Amino acid sequence: MSRIGVFICHCGENISRTVDVERVAAQVGNMPGVAFATDYKYMCSDPGQTLLKKTIQEQKLSHVVVAACSPRMHEKTFRKAVESAGLNPFLCEMANIREHCSWVHENREEATVKAIEIVGMMVERVKKNRVLPAITVPVTKRSLVIGGGIAGIQAALDIADCGHEVILVEREPSIGGHMAQLSETFPTLDCSQCIMTPKMVDVANHPKIKLYTFSEIELVEGYIGNFQVTIKKKARSVDEDTCTGCGVCMTKCPQKKIPNKFDQNIGMRTAIYVPFPQAVPNTPVIDRDNCTWFKSGKCGVCQKVCGPGAVDFEQQDRLIVEAVGAIVVATGFDLYTIDEKPKGSPIKGYGEFGHGKIPDVIDGMTFERLASASGPTGGRILRPSDGKEPKQIVFIQCIGSRAREKGISYCSKVCCMYTAKHTMLYHHKVHDGQAYVFFMDARTPGKSYDEFWRRSIEEEEAVYIRGMVSRLYQKGDKIVVMGSDIAVGVQVEIEADMVVLATAVMPQKGADTLAQKLGISYDKYHFYSEAHAKLRPVECATAGIYLAGACQGPKDIPETVSQASAAAAKVMTLFSKDKMEREPIVARVREAGCVGCFACKKVCAYGAVEEKEIRDRQGNLIKVVAYVNPGVCGGCGTCQATCPSKSVELDGYTDEQIVAMIEAL
Amino acid sequence: MAFVLRALANGSDGVFIGGCWLGECHYVTEGNYDALSMMHLTRKVLELIGVNPGRLRLEWISGSEGMRYAEVMNDFGRQLKGFGPIGEGEGLDRTALKLKFLAVKKILPYLKLVERERLRVRFKTEEEYDNYFGSDEVNSLIRELVGEKLAISQITTLLATSPLSTREISDSLRIKPAEVSRHLNSAARQGLVRYDESQKRYAIA
Ligand SMILES: Cc1cc2nc3c(=O)[nH]c(=O)nc-3n(C[C@H](O)[C@H](O)[C@H](O)COP(=O)(O)OP(=O)(O)OC[C@H]3O[C@@H](n4cnc5c(N)ncnc54)[C@H](O)[C@@H]3O)c2cc1C
Ligand code: SF4
Ligand code: SF4
Repeated sequence: MSRIGVFICHCGENISRTVDVERVAAQVGNMPGVAFATDYKYMCSDPGQTLLKKTIQEQKLSHVVVAACSPRMHEKTFRKAVESAGLNPFLCEMANIREHCSWVHENREEATVKAIEIVGMMVERVKKNRVLPAITVPVTKRSLVIGGGIAGIQAALDIADCGHEVILVEREPSIGGHMAQLSETFPTLDCSQCIMTPKMVDVANHPKIKLYTFSEIELVEGYIGNFQVTIKKKARSVDEDTCTGCGVCMTKCPQKKIPNKFDQNIGMRTAIYVPFPQAVPNTPVIDRDNCTWFKSGKCGVCQKVCGPGAVDFEQQDRLIVEAVGAIVVATGFDLYTIDEKPKGSPIKGYGEFGHGKIPDVIDGMTFERLASASGPTGGRILRPSDGKEPKQIVFIQCIGSRAREKGISYCSKVCCMYTAKHTMLYHHKVHDGQAYVFFMDARTPGKSYDEFWRRSIEEEEAVYIRGMVSRLYQKGDKIVVMGSDIAVGVQVEIEADMVVLATAVMPQKGADTLAQKLGISYDKYHFYSEAHAKLRPVECATAGIYLAGACQGPKDIPETVSQASAAAAKVMTLFSKDKMEREPIVARVREAGCVGCFACKKVCAYGAVEEKEIRDRQGNLIKVVAYVNPGVCGGCGTCQATCPSKSVELDGYTDEQIVAMIEAL
Repeated sequence: MAFVLRALANGSDGVFIGGCWLGECHYVTEGNYDALSMMHLTRKVLELIGVNPGRLRLEWISGSEGMRYAEVMNDFGRQLKGFGPIGEGEGLDRTALKLKFLAVKKILPYLKLVERERLRVRFKTEEEYDNYFGSDEVNSLIRELVGEKLAISQITTLLATSPLSTREISDSLRIKPAEVSRHLNSAARQGLVRYDESQKRYAIA
């Protein structure tokens, strides 16, 4: 006979406000098999756990049900407590009477009745729980970092400095991400390149970091501590080991007029190229779509001039498999494209602002390239159309952001600050120029941020106009910007030489595809979701996968770096043990019932089902049955749903347990 | 399917299945595709026994979509209130309902087999599943493979309680008399029921 102990938590008032916890305890106490039932203010607190442990020993409890919050929150806490009282942790179950009951109901009577039913179900379920022995698995102490922006670089360096190998995978030919594109950075105006490139070089020289650039994740298999990752290393057409990075090839390549994406397409590059001079690695890549050799089979100049003979037109994409124990996702962001209206996407463009049509309407990132000393204009602010210096410049904030009708309701967080920065950079470079800013609100809640923003107005004389632009059109060589100043209540019209749009920060295109490969979740915009918004902000719900940087939501550099170091710390925590316990939720075959049809073997995507011969004492074969290898089983339960003779069951989720719950309802 | 039917048989007015979006399964098995197939088949079975298939609802809600979960649950709640309590909403009394679910339970292993051998499909989108399970071809396949088996199972389950006439069977199960006769004939051919001349009633063989 089972002696079940039931502990009902008030969760402060979170539960007790709508659920009469005392009545639940009284009623549940009378259920068959229940030896003890009580309620307590905070079960997860130290005294709460002590109460649990003491009662288990005093009352000689055989099973425990804790009725409180979601098991995602505290199942581990209570199972650990139960274990320390000498009971197998899997004899403890949680009944969720907070998220599933008190939080979603108002009527006290109904909520109380429902809570009793929920607890009753778990009481019946726990009776069928078996003692499950722990399964330990080794931890591979190497980690994968996806994305080589500042987030990925910081995480990789932190982990590698602790002595663990890091595989850093970057999609582009060089690491650096968006930060490498920036000119100077708020709130201190230090040059982005100056603080970024040393870190990039550290990555390249670190003995513990293996860098794969121009590479993408093809496949992710396994689980925390034991992932197998297949990486596709795209053909660079230049051998990385042989190339000395001298750059002769680039000076001789006849294709010189290819828009350089790194310069927001306002600067040009050759077909064999490095995106920017400080690129890491410094090995060029051939853009096969624009290379004369790949288009017509002629040319081959780079191959001829390359001293060490590094150019290899025959190079193929390669697949590499790496074993890692943890993964940091740091794939960053993309920018809202104003004139693009992707089919089926809820995001609408700002065609009315003429971006892409009026050459001197540019976005903020393009302004960064103009202002950058290493950019296509050598740091001079010049109009893309005629190379003249703009004397009147208009910045428009919140393009795409906070515009529900355009499909995005969030704030991009960095635009207020970088626009203020842009007005300063502009004023420093064009002394007789005037900057105007159209803005909805100024959001500057960071250390030294508001002071920085004020400086833009007070010292750099930018004129801030609160209101949105309604129309914008080309007139001669001017751009007429019409809008309203809602603070004063008048219409304004400015004849500008150049317009800069602060476009919304959006997730990377294809962020969803990568998430699906990793098995992590994302929100409706495709930003990746953290396990808990407040308490687990760098962990994914999928164990062993961590988030860093703007892939999780808009972020500036200080925040990105903090999160990256936090993710690295989480990886280190995992690597601090040689072995980790794995939930023993695996399938088991009841050999007596198994008819050897191997339907389970066919459906098991993990390849966990093996064939096992059963022999009698004389060694004669009696039958062949299925056997599930617990080390390989992923615990998905598909075999259980498939088995026609009900002979394979998932420990912890047996038919018996689930039927007991349904019957208790 | 067994769990869903058991819950409905026990008097739940509806069953909700929540899952991760297609393509986002945490397991490489991608069982949510199978769940979608199973849901469609289960709905067909409910329809065949005269229970509103809308009582079973499946929605994709990821772990980070709390708001969506709440919206869906509220909507489902409203929908179920509109249907009325199970059985009552369908014009079936408790005993008839119990009996119908019992009849399905008896042929569950067979349904599993049908699912595995004839209806195991793997599409990419939900729409394709809708189209497949909405197609005439699949519907007639299900009627042929499951419909008759299920009707006979209901009749034999009912006759196990007491011998009855065609009319009585038709009334209790809400199946048309002509169809009842047809099923009785084939059940008799299979040796499952016999006609009791003395009582002028059908009985279990
Ligand atoms: C115009 C502008 C100005 C800004 N100015 C400032 C400033 O002055 N100060 C400040 O603090 N912040 C500023 N920011 C914000 C700053 O750019 C971000 O905080 C920072 O770049 C985020 O870094 P990240 O590493 O998360 O992302 P990213 O810089 O976007 O890096 C992501 C990297 O991952 C790679 N990647 C993406 N997908 C994959 C994949 N599937 N596989 C492999 N690799 C992949 C990308 O190629 C990229 O290299 C500005 C932003 C903008 C738009
Ligand atoms: S490919 Fe050859 S020429 Fe080009 S940078 Fe490398 S070594 Fe120099
Ligand atoms: S539970 Fe899933 S992984 Fe484990 S044996 Fe069954 S089908 Fe394979």
